[in-house]
Amino acid sequence: MKILNNLFVLTFMLLLLNGTALAHKVNLFAYAESGKIYTESYFPDGRPVEGGKVLVYDSRNKLLLQGVTDKKGLFNLKIPKIDDLNIVIKATMGHKNSFKLKKTEVEAGK
Amino acid sequence: MCTKNSILNIVIITIILFAANPASAHFGTIIPSDDIVTQDDSKTLNIEVKFIHPMELHDMEMVKPKQFAVIHNGQKIDLLKSLKNDRKISSDPNKKSSLWTADYKICRPGDYTFFIEPMPYWEPAEDVFIVHYTKVCVNALGLEKGWDQPVGLETEIIPLTRPYGLWTGNLFTGQVLLNGKPVSFAEIEIEYLNNSPEGIKRVIPPADPYITQVVKSDKNGVFSYAMPRSGWWGFSALNEAGWKLENEGQEKGVEIGAVYWVYTRDMK
Repeated sequence: MKILNNLFVLTFMLLLLNGTALAHKVNLFAYAESGKIYTESYFPDGRPVEGGKVLVYDSRNKLLLQGVTDKKGLFNLKIPKIDDLNIVIKATMGHKNSFKLKKTEVEAGK
Repeated sequence: MCTKNSILNIVIITIILFAANPASAHFGTIIPSDDIVTQDDSKTLNIEVKFIHPMELHDMEMVKPKQFAVIHNGQKIDLLKSLKNDRKISSDPNKKSSLWTADYKICRPGDYTFFIEPMPYWEPAEDVFIVHYTKVCVNALGLEKGWDQPVGLETEIIPLTRPYGLWTGNLFTGQVLLNGKPVSFAEIEIEYLNNSPEGIKRVIPPADPYITQVVKSDKNGVFSYAMPRSGWWGFSALNEAGWKLENEGQEKGVEIGAVYWVYTRDMK
């Protein structure tokens, strides 16, 4: 009976943790400056997305390059192409979001 | 049949009623063109600064504020030079300096708390000067950080409810601070900006008490109010300053208001 009770409490706590995580949407912000694109990935409360996968696509949806965010949620890259870029962040538990960096903004930052 | 005298009487009574009308409250106002800036939105905000009776849409004369700034990521950015007097879109084009506007470009994610400290406004009907420290928060690009931080004004409302992403009917809870300390049993006046959002019918209050809602804070300065309609809502906590100002050689009291604006949307 005690084991059953413990199992129930554990399951309940796991459900709670899962619920908390689901409420946290990930975000990515990017800007181009001095030939580079700087990306910042974060949760709404400001915590960085650590170890998130960043994928950079051109306007034809071709994957140009990818990388991983550091402890501060940052990933920087050289401007791969002067184009409308779609930069995707993929974090754990299926959290995903994207940021569109316009061609004009990329060009201004080259 | 109206006689000259009866018309004169009606005019006099109307003037007296308007002059003595205690129902409408003054509100410092900062209304941004957007409250939540997403990726697809324009990153340039247009901000309107006014001194009005929000429910009745009366504009007061307003000279250029003493301070207009934004706090983002803990840093204060002075925006006073960007404020322009714009008479074209004032609700009363014959009035001078009744509306101030500024454009501000959002460059980074996070919460942007815009605030003004106006020049003291002399209100002869109440025999006081009025200074309304007014704030509004705009969220940008999914980072919800900063809205609960004080600006450091003489008096201000600290939101305890996140002040954006509010549905109609939500409860807004805030705390009134005066010189950084909670104000016990403060009186908070609440008014609906009666031209928001665009296109919906204006509210016609059935009686004076409907114009300005009034709630009191608890001993910790905390108050709540549920907003019954979509649009902009102003919260104004009034206190008397510990300092005086001179008008025509006489010392007069100063009413200092902590004003906060939030926007609600209908669930559709």
